[in-house]
Amino acid sequence: MADVNDGRLDLTRSRPRFIAFGVASAVLVLVLGGRLFQLQVLQGAEYAGRAAADRTVEVPIVAPRGLVFDRAGRPLAVNVPSWTVNVRPADLPEGGRERVLARVADLTGVDAGDLGSRLAAFSGSSFDLVPILRGVSREAALLISEEGDRLAGIEVTVEAQRRYLDETGAPGGELLSAVVGYTGPIDRGEYAALNDEGYLRNDAIGKAGIESAFESELRGVYGSQLVERDASGRQARVISTLHDPEPGLNLMLTIDAHTQRLATRALEWGMEVADVSQGVVAVMNPQTGEILAMVSLPAYDNNKFASGISAADFNAYLADPDRPLRNHAISDIYPPGSTYKLVTGIAAMEEGVTTPSRLWQTYGCFQIPGAPEGECLYDWNRQGFGRIDMVDAFAVSSDTFFYQMAIETGIDPLAAWANDLGFGQRSGIRLPNESAGIVASTEWARRQGRSGVFTGEVAQAGIGQNVIAVTPLQMLNAYAAVANGGRLMRPMIVRGETDAAGNLVRAYAPEVIRELAASDESLRTMRIGAREVITTGHAYNIRDLHLPGALSGKTGTAEFGELTPGGTLPFHSWFVAYLPSEAGATDADLAVVAFNYSAVVPGNVSAEVVKYFLQMYFNLDQDLRLDPNDFSLVSAN
Amino acid sequence: MGAMTSTFVDSFRARDWRHFDLQLLLYVLLLISVGVVMGYSAAFNDPPPAAGMSQTVKTLIWAAIGLTLFFVAASVDYRWLRTLAVPIYATVLGLLLLTMFAGRNLFGAQMSVTLAGLDFQFSEVGKVLMIAVLAAFLSSRRERIGRLATIVVAGVLMGVPTLLVFAQPDLGTALVFVAILVGMLFISGASLGWMGLGAAAVIGAAPVAFGLLHEYQRNRLLCFLDPYADAQGACYQLVQALNAVGSGGLLGRGLTVGGEGQRGYIPVQSTDFIFTVVAEDLGFVGGVVVLTLFSLLVWRILLIGWRARDAFGLLIAAGLASMILFQLLVNVGMVTGIMPVTGVPLPFITYGGSSLISLLFGLGILQSVRMRSHKPDL
Repeated sequence: MADVNDGRLDLTRSRPRFIAFGVASAVLVLVLGGRLFQLQVLQGAEYAGRAAADRTVEVPIVAPRGLVFDRAGRPLAVNVPSWTVNVRPADLPEGGRERVLARVADLTGVDAGDLGSRLAAFSGSSFDLVPILRGVSREAALLISEEGDRLAGIEVTVEAQRRYLDETGAPGGELLSAVVGYTGPIDRGEYAALNDEGYLRNDAIGKAGIESAFESELRGVYGSQLVERDASGRQARVISTLHDPEPGLNLMLTIDAHTQRLATRALEWGMEVADVSQGVVAVMNPQTGEILAMVSLPAYDNNKFASGISAADFNAYLADPDRPLRNHAISDIYPPGSTYKLVTGIAAMEEGVTTPSRLWQTYGCFQIPGAPEGECLYDWNRQGFGRIDMVDAFAVSSDTFFYQMAIETGIDPLAAWANDLGFGQRSGIRLPNESAGIVASTEWARRQGRSGVFTGEVAQAGIGQNVIAVTPLQMLNAYAAVANGGRLMRPMIVRGETDAAGNLVRAYAPEVIRELAASDESLRTMRIGAREVITTGHAYNIRDLHLPGALSGKTGTAEFGELTPGGTLPFHSWFVAYLPSEAGATDADLAVVAFNYSAVVPGNVSAEVVKYFLQMYFNLDQDLRLDPNDFSLVSAN
Repeated sequence: MGAMTSTFVDSFRARDWRHFDLQLLLYVLLLISVGVVMGYSAAFNDPPPAAGMSQTVKTLIWAAIGLTLFFVAASVDYRWLRTLAVPIYATVLGLLLLTMFAGRNLFGAQMSVTLAGLDFQFSEVGKVLMIAVLAAFLSSRRERIGRLATIVVAGVLMGVPTLLVFAQPDLGTALVFVAILVGMLFISGASLGWMGLGAAAVIGAAPVAFGLLHEYQRNRLLCFLDPYADAQGACYQLVQALNAVGSGGLLGRGLTVGGEGQRGYIPVQSTDFIFTVVAEDLGFVGGVVVLTLFSLLVWRILLIGWRARDAFGLLIAAGLASMILFQLLVNVGMVTGIMPVTGVPLPFITYGGSSLISLLFGLGILQSVRMRSHKPDL
């Protein structure tokens, strides 16, 4: 008998260990049996109930986002269906993953490798729905759905996507992107702050403009439904609707898309001929504060955001030195130049420094009081204007007149009157990222660690240079307040709520921020002066426009930066105007501001932009636009 | 050397077959039947596969292959394995390395390689082969069995394949390797003191090992502490499993009724979570029947081991018993929420050819031990 071990050479066998092993095995199996008894017999009913409850899940129903219309009922922001191809990795056929992805790539005309890498980049559960292709065409979506049986693991979902339209109803977000803004996927921080309010992890949220400022109105209230789930959380069947969603409010803007187009066309022309890279035109009804147009160039295409902007496009916007994503009309501040003489004039009269009729000597160069002999500030006109009053000084834009007014008034009263006109504070227009601007005062100087404002700076403040910075909207609103007889209006951007067809159903009321503290006489003096600016030829041929009223306004330039090779400083140009029925009247219902950043041609391109805009707005058969080489006929000041 | 000069053909002696253990085969066949029925019930509402064979047909084919191997292994004298321990060990390491480098990505882990169209998880056959390797080593220790060196060398021998499996990553199978090691050391008579110290060291190192795990593995492990903390997330499977087991009640909901029950809510139900189907369809009674079948099988294995003619045979039995018992404990413990969720198949019942064929091969070796034991009666 063959046996190498024969017991004696082999291991000795331990009976106790064998028994211990067997007993331990028996105990462990008994534990399992006991646990089964506990789960199934003792707690079986409880688990059966829980299982039934777990099979249903409350699923939110997305409310349709409110539409946005212009004041004539033209749709500007609408919702269109957008199809997304998703993959549930666990459902992909074993070994058929490449075939399925290649077929999807075929049907949608994209690269299969891209789909594969997007799927590979996903790190969650293989039972999650992974979006691999957004913005698929309706045709491709239908084709994929039809092949559903052969494309296991692929699910097509449809969502509402925002589309932004121009005044013709065609896709064209650039016309109003600065105002309307865009929606985008909610980010981690926003979700953390908002998930209590019913925001979903993959929700869309307004990111800029009206879409952001009126997010709560536009979003509506999401509903919810009870859904039975099948395997691994997939939703199989709707059992009942718990709450119907409430659609978001449809909004009517104060903007007129046609006016917006004309203003855009005028500004584009001016920027082109004067080689300007940033510009603003805003149009307002001074009686109500309604914004009829607000153009900020360069613009961006908000439809790119709506369909999920590519990193390359987004980075290009961010890298653009002219910052297309900012609304320059409200978010950026610029020195106002001579347009600010409105503030200095009102302040000087109200503080008793001068009267409308008192004459002041003007100079080619004004000696700063207390400064060494010869340290003087030049007038733009090196000859001076002789002895002139407030109206003439405003009309010819005498710098030395307003230096004296500012110094005699003092920096803090000057600042107080500026604040009264809305400078140095946000207007409260319901758009995001409004800037307050800078108005120099003693307190402002102390915040900079200085004891006060130098006299030279006070003089500069009087002509809107150096220590003053405003938004184009603030400038427009200040002139509008003077134009309407002294009511500083809250600039309105939304006129009210509409039905789904764009008919106004609830109008928002205009709001007065405050009655100006200035006397009617002071305001009227400035209105007469503003009319004189046009009629005395300071704005050259704009007076020849056949306008239905007495156009009044003010030019402005603000030098900044470093000398150009030609020996001049680059400058911003301003023109702000309003249209009353006659000189000094308070019935103007149209006010315009134009701003051009760093013009390189002499003269005031902004005045030309406003002129062109008015020609088109009133359908005049005149074209008085100057040749760019003749822009210098329009006083830069 | 006289014994080993007996020719290979001598192994096929007709009188050996008189000692063939019918009970062992009976319990195995019953458990396989449970697996086939439960797999059928689990997949009842799934759409039929677009191409190829259904799960049930595949299982039957694997069972046929496995049973063939069972009889082949039974007919060969198991002591040949002992002489082949070194090449077997090299084969195990080679197969596991092959899996690492040529493996197919299945649920994110390199667990299987495809051979002639059949996915094969070499870690499954590795478990059975390592039982033979360890049995050969431990039975050679004789009077030195109580020394520390026994535990160290056995630990290193088992440690290398364990780490390879762990790196796939397949935490569950790695733990099965460890359980086999512990069970065999215990039965072999290794020093309890040193084993206790080793266990203490392992427990001490547990926090470190926990840190080495993937995040999803950690989350799943932690689920069993409080499954309802993340019922929709990492613990979704476990919560659904508990619901399914619990709603089975005393007598169960009946086979294939899962359309209205929990069927389909549990991912990979026909594999790691197959016991939820047993529990939901057949209730507590069905669960107890299955546990009883396993108990009878383990008892039979231990009995064969005790009566084996040599320690090599004894230790093969100890390894198989440890493996089956541990997998039963972890798998059923997992779906009933008393063990962490790790991917360990339930022997014979979990759908999968590698596991079934390997098990039947291992039990074939055990049958060979039984047929060649000294005592004709058990």
